[in-house]
Amino acid sequence: MRMNDRLAHLLVRLYPRPWRERYGAELEALLHTGRGDLRASANVVWSAFHEHVFPTPGLKIEQSQFQSWCVRAPWAMFGLAPLLLLAAAYFVACFILWSGWKLFLPGANTPFVPIDGLAIFYFQVGRLIYFSAPILIGWAIGLVAGRQRLKAVWPAVGWILIALVGGTAQVHASRTAVLGGVGHIRMGFALGPSVHGIPDGLFHGFVILSLTVLPYFIWRLQKTHFISS
Amino acid sequence: MCDNYVMRSTRSVVAAKVAAVKYDPGTGHYSDPPLLVLASLAKGPKHGHAMIEDIAGICGTRLGPGTLYGAIARLEQQGWIEPLPPEERRRPYRITAEGARVLRAKLTTLRQFTKAGLQRLEALCV
Repeated sequence: MRMNDRLAHLLVRLYPRPWRERYGAELEALLHTGRGDLRASANVVWSAFHEHVFPTPGLKIEQSQFQSWCVRAPWAMFGLAPLLLLAAAYFVACFILWSGWKLFLPGANTPFVPIDGLAIFYFQVGRLIYFSAPILIGWAIGLVAGRQRLKAVWPAVGWILIALVGGTAQVHASRTAVLGGVGHIRMGFALGPSVHGIPDGLFHGFVILSLTVLPYFIWRLQKTHFISS
Repeated sequence: MCDNYVMRSTRSVVAAKVAAVKYDPGTGHYSDPPLLVLASLAKGPKHGHAMIEDIAGICGTRLGPGTLYGAIARLEQQGWIEPLPPEERRRPYRITAEGARVLRAKLTTLRQFTKAGLQRLEALCV
């Protein structure tokens, strides 16, 4: 029993694009001519999954579209894109703060007051997004740099930018003087007060930088150890 | 007496296993896809379907299409096999000089291993 064209095409689509571009047509032809039973289909599904997890060395570096973006426009991949992502995360966090203020604290002059019940959960979601965004984006930079086997220069630029923005970001809430007026949330960036001569913003930035760079450095050390052994 | 019993018992188990290998064609399958592909191409250039049939003939292992192309991709990237011009939609491959050298080295190691293993097994069964 031969495999039908549609199923063969769908199965080949499961592979990563660089692999598919090189071997997809041949594998599809083989699926047409060979046995088209359940075992063959399962074998292709498993192999496609394996290719995603352990890509064939060489193929990814030469043909990946994503990798070419990292090489052609590293400033966009490691500078602009992380900043835009961080801005989007901060927007969502601020929106949660603003909407929570309107929903749960309509009479309060500021959303930064003791709360209880569902409001705690609502505001905590916003806080989680706000504080975790720089770290998650930093890890994503490290992951991309690691997978694409890039030098650490441009990823370092991205990490420093994210750490500076994340460390110095401040959220301000104010309500107009008119009774029942609309509350405003705005973001600013400042180094803040100094503790032992070190500005607060710089200290926070250093903590974010350390947390984001750490997994990448562990990966690099492991790789160096693996190659030398 | 007890030791003797254990020894005889062990011998009979090993003998039974050897007999099972001899009579059950399913037990003796060997599956190292890259090595099987190299061994198949050592006989001449082939496309995927011909490789599957050839390998099944050599050792009774029928490689799945995904497994076969996983091995082909890795072998090609390592420079141990190379593609030939496609015939319609099928593309034949041939082994390179480097691939032949690797195959020879691996098979030599396997032969030594097989020889040593069989000698030990025979000593155990006598």
